[in-house]
Amino acid sequence: MASMWKEFSKGLWAEIPPFRLMLGLCPTLAVTKSANNGLGMGLAVIFVLALSNAVISLIRNIIPKKVRIACYIAIAASLVVAVELLMQAYTYPLYQQLGIFVPLIVVNCIILGRAEAFAGKNPVHLSIADGLGMGIGFTMSLTFLGALREVLGYGTLFGHGLFGPDFHPVHFMVEAPGAFVSLGLILAGMNLLSIRKALRRGENPADNPMPGCESCRGCAMGRD
Amino acid sequence: MREILKMIVVLSAICGLSGFCLSYLKQMTAPAIENQVLTYVQGPAIKQVLTDTDNDPIADRKKFTNPITGKQINVFPALKGGKLVAIALEEFGGGFGGDIGVIVGFNVDSDTLTGIGVTTMKETPGLGTRTAEPSFTKQFKKLPMHVDLKSRGGQIDAISGATISSNGVVIAVQNAAKVYEAIKSEATKTWN
Repeated sequence: MASMWKEFSKGLWAEIPPFRLMLGLCPTLAVTKSANNGLGMGLAVIFVLALSNAVISLIRNIIPKKVRIACYIAIAASLVVAVELLMQAYTYPLYQQLGIFVPLIVVNCIILGRAEAFAGKNPVHLSIADGLGMGIGFTMSLTFLGALREVLGYGTLFGHGLFGPDFHPVHFMVEAPGAFVSLGLILAGMNLLSIRKALRRGENPADNPMPGCESCRGCAMGRD
Repeated sequence: MREILKMIVVLSAICGLSGFCLSYLKQMTAPAIENQVLTYVQGPAIKQVLTDTDNDPIADRKKFTNPITGKQINVFPALKGGKLVAIALEEFGGGFGGDIGVIVGFNVDSDTLTGIGVTTMKETPGLGTRTAEPSFTKQFKKLPMHVDLKSRGGQIDAISGATISSNGVVIAVQNAAKVYEAIKSEATKTWN
């Protein structure tokens, strides 16, 4: 139980995907025009990530080493098509909003990254915990970024107006450059927090500019 | 040799199984997806052309065979007090950037147009796309069935700079009128 919680919780802060692992940046930048879009994209990713981790971990012992990437992609692609069909059937407006970025979840680095770095080597229950944690972390990040851009760019949050008619929205924030600027500022803020924390513990932050990096297995990808 | 065989078998098994599951899921979701597409793509246009109705034209739709092309098309009825007052159907006409889809409503009593609404188009933004705006589409309201551009002796003012797009919409309406004439008796029998 304790190990499951450890694998689950690392995706929520220490290895939160777009902000710490810097994986899955394409949808992070592209669909976060509103909090709703970020949340919808995140939910789709949670579904795909948790299930693909579960399936891959279940059959990890029968997948031959040399074709493992192809197997992972085939599984992820099937799950993404399933999400696409379900979205079309039940949440069509969201499907229209996310457009091309739903099928592109297949090539989202988080899915393949977690399959290769975690699910291919760990038992099923830990892999599901890892997938859920990473997925929820991704969803939180996208919703946060989407909310930030929506509030400043449209003056609304989840589609509800926040300010009176005197508010002048900053359209820059909902254009493409606004995504880069807000992502950069969030990353800077997170690094500042981590450095403060390290200083308080009496460590030299320069030794480890990105705390959490040592526990990430992303760099072990492809090393067998 | 054993290794290669294993690779082939495992990868084929995974792909085959995925394909099987997905085709099953596709069949399961097909009716729901059709409903959603009708509601969100054609729905707004249908609401524009069938205003005077007390039923849900999308839920009450029926498939008819288009006698000209032999294809199945959706026909949307507008009922009032249980009597058919108008039907709407979608037809296409060649525009500047591909086919333009137009929903055309027909009043079954007077054989006039109740209105048109553009569903799909890939026309030039700012020029051809103006054919989807009310200023252009309202010209069709209450017209008799045979519409044409003013340049060909008809009643419709083309949008300057977008003659081909305007023509595409008119062609779509003309096509729809042909289908309407062919299926009218069958439709009135179905819903009355």
